Amino acid sequence: MKLREIFTNGIFKENPIFKLVIGMCPTIAVTTAAINGIGMGLATTFVLICSNLVISLLKDFIPSKIRIPSYIVIIATFVTIVGMVMEAYLPDLYDSLGIFIPLIVVNCIILARAETFASKNPPIPSIVDGLGIGLGFTLSLTILGSIRELLGAGTLFNMQVMPNSYEPALIMILPAGAFITLGLLTGLINKFTTKMD
Amino acid sequence: MEYFNKLILLFVSSALINNIVLSRTIAICPFLGVSKRVDTSLGMGMAVMFVIALSSVITYAVHYAILVPLEIEYMQVIAFILVIATLVQLIEMIIQKTSPTLYSALGVYLPLITTNCAVLGVAIMNIQEEYDLIQTLVNGIGVSLGFTLAIVLFAGIRERLELADIPEHLEGVPIALITAGLMSVAFMGFQGLIK
Amino acid sequence: MSETWTLGLKLFIITAVAGFILGFTNYLTEQPIMKQRIQADMEARLAVLPSAKEFEEIEIDEVADENSKIIEIYRAVDADNNIVGYTFKVLTSGFGGDVEVIVGINSDGIIEGIRIGEHSETPGLGAKASEEGFTEQFAGKAIDMPIEVNKTGDLADNEIQAITGATITSECVSNAVNLAINYYSESLIGGIDN
Repeated sequence: MKLREIFTNGIFKENPIFKLVIGMCPTIAVTTAAINGIGMGLATTFVLICSNLVISLLKDFIPSKIRIPSYIVIIATFVTIVGMVMEAYLPDLYDSLGIFIPLIVVNCIILARAETFASKNPPIPSIVDGLGIGLGFTLSLTILGSIRELLGAGTLFNMQVMPNSYEPALIMILPAGAFITLGLLTGLINKFTTKMD
Repeated sequence: MEYFNKLILLFVSSALINNIVLSRTIAICPFLGVSKRVDTSLGMGMAVMFVIALSSVITYAVHYAILVPLEIEYMQVIAFILVIATLVQLIEMIIQKTSPTLYSALGVYLPLITTNCAVLGVAIMNIQEEYDLIQTLVNGIGVSLGFTLAIVLFAGIRERLELADIPEHLEGVPIALITAGLMSVAFMGFQGLIK
Repeated sequence: MSETWTLGLKLFIITAVAGFILGFTNYLTEQPIMKQRIQADMEARLAVLPSAKEFEEIEIDEVADENSKIIEIYRAVDADNNIVGYTFKVLTSGFGGDVEVIVGINSDGIIEGIRIGEHSETPGLGAKASEEGFTEQFAGKAIDMPIEVNKTGDLADNEIQAITGATITSECVSNAVNLAINYYSESLIGGIDN
């Protein structure tokens, strides 16, 4: 597979949210605002790229019997690093993502990429795969966050967009709004992609 | 007595008001993945309860007996996830040997639990909220009962949805998500149950 | 060497390297994180008591604080080391859990400002408590009467307007402010503490 194909594969064909429907917890939880979506997406992308690279480099060293615990340790290391760096330099984002930063460890997307891609491919394609899947994840989270922020608070990236007379739809920034928006979006994407096939 | 009241409040809060799936939105993956039938979702719920109850006590011990004295709290995520992964493996081996009936009921769900965010989520939450050992246990049981309640109710609805006439593109995951959204609205009714 | 040992050793090596890397990152980020926290606390105190120059933490009198809900008190001094007031960090329970309220009372017995810290109130309802529209109502209130929450309209001097649809949160904030007022009147009055 060419690198470009590996890259776009993660964004469209194997988009983790809309196509594979994995990594749902952060998707539902942190997308109350577009900026949180981007923050969570980029944090996950960083972990994905690093863990994919390291796992790909170590694939001959790690025996298959203990591969899952080894992968988890590697992923947890990078997650902790992201958490510490974010707390030091982006404390506001750190506070609003809260418990979902350590929970990146159990984001099934990362373990799934380690198992299906990085453990079978050389380092460079693994990095590109991490980048593609990560950006696909970030993009989905940002779209969802933008819709919810726009309807639920009348703002976009904290800037007032809707006219002042617009009464924000509270439900959109509650968990219920996340489930419903994601459901409708997935349905919409299904509709367009089935047409394309 | 006051302490006992506090425990009851904690239990109600972790099971209903701050329901792990519908209010805290943790553990959505198993919630969507293992909820096609009522009996399997009940099995998943039981397995989760088993693992959460054990792991929250063990991670509590690991945190206060190892991480804090050694001043390596930053190893928390690694330590906890390793404890959970090991524990899940152990439980699987033990019940496979001792109770074939239990194994056939819970066995298939156990490997899935390692990446169930609820288990790690509860372990971290217990430390963050500075619960003591009893509160930790009560919180763990409350959370897993809340999870079981949500997933079983959800499975009940989904079984009926199978027979319903829904728009073609909304079939499967989309309609499940919308249903979860409506359930989340319903669970908001529990808010204000305690003051 | 048996296979189990090799497996165990390899997993141990991976974990040890991970621990080493994390220890190093921790070493690098420890200072910035501490600085960040101290600065955030400082900013919160300055926001509720802008006339202060420096703050010094004082001990909380256990007897006066029956519910142990006041968790921090700072004495604020100006550039000439005169006491200008006190800031309180108070925890009271709101709708979704504990709400952290920071209250600044100056030595004239006037509330200079309040700020909401960590909370888990419902977004769009109770969470509005942290917006200026709600918190600025407390500024300028005298401490001779406890603060009351009013839901209807006509506000008396010691009343504040409740947040629509979030009476519990509004009351929880005013409770916190009243706890600070009580403590101030009983133990710190006249700007003299011991």
